[in-house]
Amino acid sequence: MSLENVLKGLKANPRFHNNITFVHRIPAREGIHEAIPDFLPRELVELLQKQGITKLYSHQAAALSAVEKGEDIVVVTPTASGKTLCYNLPVIRALLEDETARALYLFPTKALAQDQVAELMAWSDQLGGKIKTYTYDGDTPGDARIAVRSAGSIVVTNPDMLHSGILPHHTKWMRLFENLKYVVIDELHIYRGVFGSHVANVLRRLQRICQFYGANPQFICTSATIANPGEHGAALLGRPVTVIDQNGAPSGPKEIIFYNPPVVNQPLGIRRSALLEAEAVAREFIKAQIPTIIFARSRLDTEVLVTYLRQAFHKLGKPETIRAYRGGYLPKQRRQIEKDLRDGKVMGVVSTNALELGIDIGSLQAAVLTGYPGTIASTWQQFGRAGRSNTPSVAVLVANSSPLNQFMIQNPEYFLGRGAEYARINPNNLYILVSHLKCAAFELPFVAGERFGDTDPTEILDYLAEQMILRRVGDRWHWMSDNYPAVDISLRSASTENFAIIDTTGGQTRVIGEVDRFSAAMLVHEGAIYIHESNQYHIDKLDWERQKAYARQVNVDYYTDANLDVDLKVLDVFAEEESPSCRRNWGEVMVVAKTHMYKKIKFYTHENIGWGQISVPEQEMHTTAYWFSIPEATVANASRDALQSALLGLANLLGNIASLELMCEPSDLGVAAHVRSPFTSAPTIYIYEKYPGGVGFSEQLFSAHERLIQRALSIIERCPCPSGCPSCVGPVEEVGLEGKIYASWLLKGVLQNESSQQVTATDWPGAYHS
Amino acid sequence: MSLASKLRQLIGPAHTTVSSTAKRQVNLDPILHGQEVDTPFGTCYVVEKAISLEEKHGHWPLRAAFTTAYGNLGQPEPLEIGKALFLDTETTGLAGGTGTYAFLIGLGSFTDSHFLVRQLLMRDYDEELAMLYLLEQELKSKNSIISFNGKTFDIPLLQTRFALARLGLQGCAEKEQLDLLHLSRRIWRQKLNSCTLGSLETSILGVRRINDIPGAEIPGRYFEFLQTGCGQLLQGIVEHNALDIISMATLLYRIQITLQLQPEECECPWEAEALAYGALRQSDYTRGLLYLEAARQLCHNRNQYLRLLRTTALIHKRLGNYDRACALWQETLRLAYDDLDAYEELAKYYEHRAKDLATAEQITRRALAIAWQTGSARAAALEHRLRRIRNKQRLRASS
Repeated sequence: MSLENVLKGLKANPRFHNNITFVHRIPAREGIHEAIPDFLPRELVELLQKQGITKLYSHQAAALSAVEKGEDIVVVTPTASGKTLCYNLPVIRALLEDETARALYLFPTKALAQDQVAELMAWSDQLGGKIKTYTYDGDTPGDARIAVRSAGSIVVTNPDMLHSGILPHHTKWMRLFENLKYVVIDELHIYRGVFGSHVANVLRRLQRICQFYGANPQFICTSATIANPGEHGAALLGRPVTVIDQNGAPSGPKEIIFYNPPVVNQPLGIRRSALLEAEAVAREFIKAQIPTIIFARSRLDTEVLVTYLRQAFHKLGKPETIRAYRGGYLPKQRRQIEKDLRDGKVMGVVSTNALELGIDIGSLQAAVLTGYPGTIASTWQQFGRAGRSNTPSVAVLVANSSPLNQFMIQNPEYFLGRGAEYARINPNNLYILVSHLKCAAFELPFVAGERFGDTDPTEILDYLAEQMILRRVGDRWHWMSDNYPAVDISLRSASTENFAIIDTTGGQTRVIGEVDRFSAAMLVHEGAIYIHESNQYHIDKLDWERQKAYARQVNVDYYTDANLDVDLKVLDVFAEEESPSCRRNWGEVMVVAKTHMYKKIKFYTHENIGWGQISVPEQEMHTTAYWFSIPEATVANASRDALQSALLGLANLLGNIASLELMCEPSDLGVAAHVRSPFTSAPTIYIYEKYPGGVGFSEQLFSAHERLIQRALSIIERCPCPSGCPSCVGPVEEVGLEGKIYASWLLKGVLQNESSQQVTATDWPGAYHS
Repeated sequence: MSLASKLRQLIGPAHTTVSSTAKRQVNLDPILHGQEVDTPFGTCYVVEKAISLEEKHGHWPLRAAFTTAYGNLGQPEPLEIGKALFLDTETTGLAGGTGTYAFLIGLGSFTDSHFLVRQLLMRDYDEELAMLYLLEQELKSKNSIISFNGKTFDIPLLQTRFALARLGLQGCAEKEQLDLLHLSRRIWRQKLNSCTLGSLETSILGVRRINDIPGAEIPGRYFEFLQTGCGQLLQGIVEHNALDIISMATLLYRIQITLQLQPEECECPWEAEALAYGALRQSDYTRGLLYLEAARQLCHNRNQYLRLLRTTALIHKRLGNYDRACALWQETLRLAYDDLDAYEELAKYYEHRAKDLATAEQITRRALAIAWQTGSARAAALEHRLRRIRNKQRLRASS
């Protein structure tokens, strides 16, 4: 069945059509072409012609000429716009002209790197094997590594491997560094937040080593659409970049459908599960043999979705057409799934955002998003996974009940008009900076007066010397420790150690996956149901010390969901602003997180059928936060319960919309509400960053206070629920029956400041009760 | 919060702040009995010891190591002992990478009358270049480097240091490498559980160390010396390193005399076995069999004895001496009734060579019974063999 017919059927079906809140059609667009520039060698031009390329898209031509002029560039165009030629052409040209030249390619994931190497190999074959491309990652066997170091003209790796495997051994890579002409960084937008702040420091180290060997490579970067590619590129590379963002590639027509699951519980404002709705929509596509990708928000959701879809297709006799694809899988499993997708053996794939990146998975025609992915950039990336240059495609965004989702689904003009997010990094986060200064000192002694990026590291180096980690002799700081610092520093999460999940079913022991330390408390606590490849495993034992979780395969009709409790202590205040009804701050805090209990939730009905205790150690984190407190006098008339419920509701709401306002991932932030904070001695709401030291979000929140409050109020006022729902202040079970009213009054109380009105005692809803 | 107090929170409180940026004037002479040496790249400290060739280290005088004629020891040319440099480094860690330094380079070489131990020490990081320069000078008159595990550890580490120095020095490149660990493993791996220099000294060389410091403590001691300037901390390290160098000379001699033992001269079954493998690797089956025979005569260990029988039988089989091979497999079965390899070899022989299907069947049945009993995975293959033998028997009967 054609895509058009399936869409027609879907829209005619009352089961679906009432829930479609908005349809946006993007017409097909023609390509803009330019001639292949003269400066490319004939060999290369002929090869392009052999591949049917007689002219370039305008952005490819622009990229080539900017690189020719010696500029560092960022190419910003959507998925499937021929971005790879923007870097492959200059690199291959340089290698054809000078056999000793070298290029380093950085991809955020191994899967992407493998994909690129396959493409480069094809180029190399046609050029008579002149270009030797190798991947260098954790999977590269020991004997192959020696060849990569000496003979690889293009070394393809990831930032993690550059950080822990290449830079600390740079003398072994002398030939690469001495002759390094180009550094290619794909998917630049991925390097934001904490990860980006780490990577920026790895790039500082890379440039330091290049300088040591007398090389000054040019950077060629690509990025998905973000609001500030130039600024972000400059922040990552520590030097100005030329932005090329005029897309010249053609695209087929695309339909974007916003889908809001029906309200199933009017008084509570609870909507039907986005998971179940996404599954129903995806099933329609897959049944009609339309290759479909379904994006889930978490690993757990991925597995639940695969289970459901497999069951559905089991009845049709083809469960194997559905596959899961997520981060916890071992490399071999992932390669196989990627291959089956390309070969058409798999018709539906359920993925976390691992596939959002540009892996070549053949021509998918439909994308179904289970919930708003958290950022506009991510949403467009996921929409872009379906559809190639001339085929029609469809993308469906199925909203869940969270305020962010409901805001987006009810304000499509905001979504379409706003444009993508800003990518932000803070390479000078002290925690991150110190980590990388250690690595850099290990790689090469620091010399007095030397800068590290835009910082003067002297004070930190001296401190490390006092710690006897470094030793200052004359004008140099040397590494003085018998360990290898890069091993202890992970670029991707706060904790370096992963927990292994070991299947012990039937007496065997087999590692089936891994989770990071923070997730371990939530996902593999004792009693948890861990789902892997849609098999359920009961976690029998969690060995916290040895970082192992022992699992046993089971067959139960529920899954588990753990609760996280957070305590918070203020350490230092960086800034403070006071108004009559509110005092807001930005500063440093100590967060203590603990998981105490988990819920057992039944499949399909999603009812709570029991709970259990979790005993894992507390986890401490020193980070930055934004918080505001309300003078006690303002709320003196409110009962403690009313205040509690108001703060809780408002904190929920603010936490959810802060990420929208900030344009960061919702998971980057945490919230806490205190009726009487020990630090401020007043009712206080905290929004903290979930990374040690913070990456600058709390400072932005501090200055965005007004907008946050305004938006919170407008969401509360627009939400049709009577007394609180997951789409505004949170479910009634959590914030109480009048949580919404209390929160709304609290907001108005806080906001009065601007219109210089006072909240009088009688305005306070709690007053009616007292 | 100030940067300093934030750093305290992140990293922890500062230690006693003794770190001084000025170079410490520590007089090591009374402790290490060496001297400061000037080079174009600054100074470093050198400790020299000349040991008379008559002095015994373990069972042998050092002269023995000097006067022995060396074979090629796995290299293209025979070793010229006068042009060999023994080398062992002490480092700031075992992790490798560009942040690991060699702070002490111990060198050993023979003169006509003495074994010279020369140790190059950097008293602080700024003396590294001078130390490397002196090493380069020492290497100029030599054509090979003898080390213990140097191929994988000391030499690559020094090459990294030379590369980082950016002085255009050759370092250890272009020199022949002789790694005594590899040779020792070949000869004594079966005999010793671990082939560390320490266990070789105790079991093979007859060297006993007194108050030797454990290798794991060395980086920490050096760092403490840098902080405190206390020369006593280095004393143990320098002595440890010197002993390593001297032991290498003795070990080299011990390896050479072992490698040239004739089969009848062997006194140790393990060495005889190792020599047998050496001869077999060079396809010298006659000598190989002689060493195997010698090893069997000396052997007191059941597992080794069985292994020797098996190897000897296989050689005879390859050479076509089936009678000898069969006798050895039979002997194997007398010692180990459940040795499926021996059964299988015998079955093969009777089926394919002797064409004695009845005996082949009998042997295969016995083997199969054992395989079933022990739950061996080889049962299936044996069943297959038995079926084939029976088919052949039927065919023969019908023709």
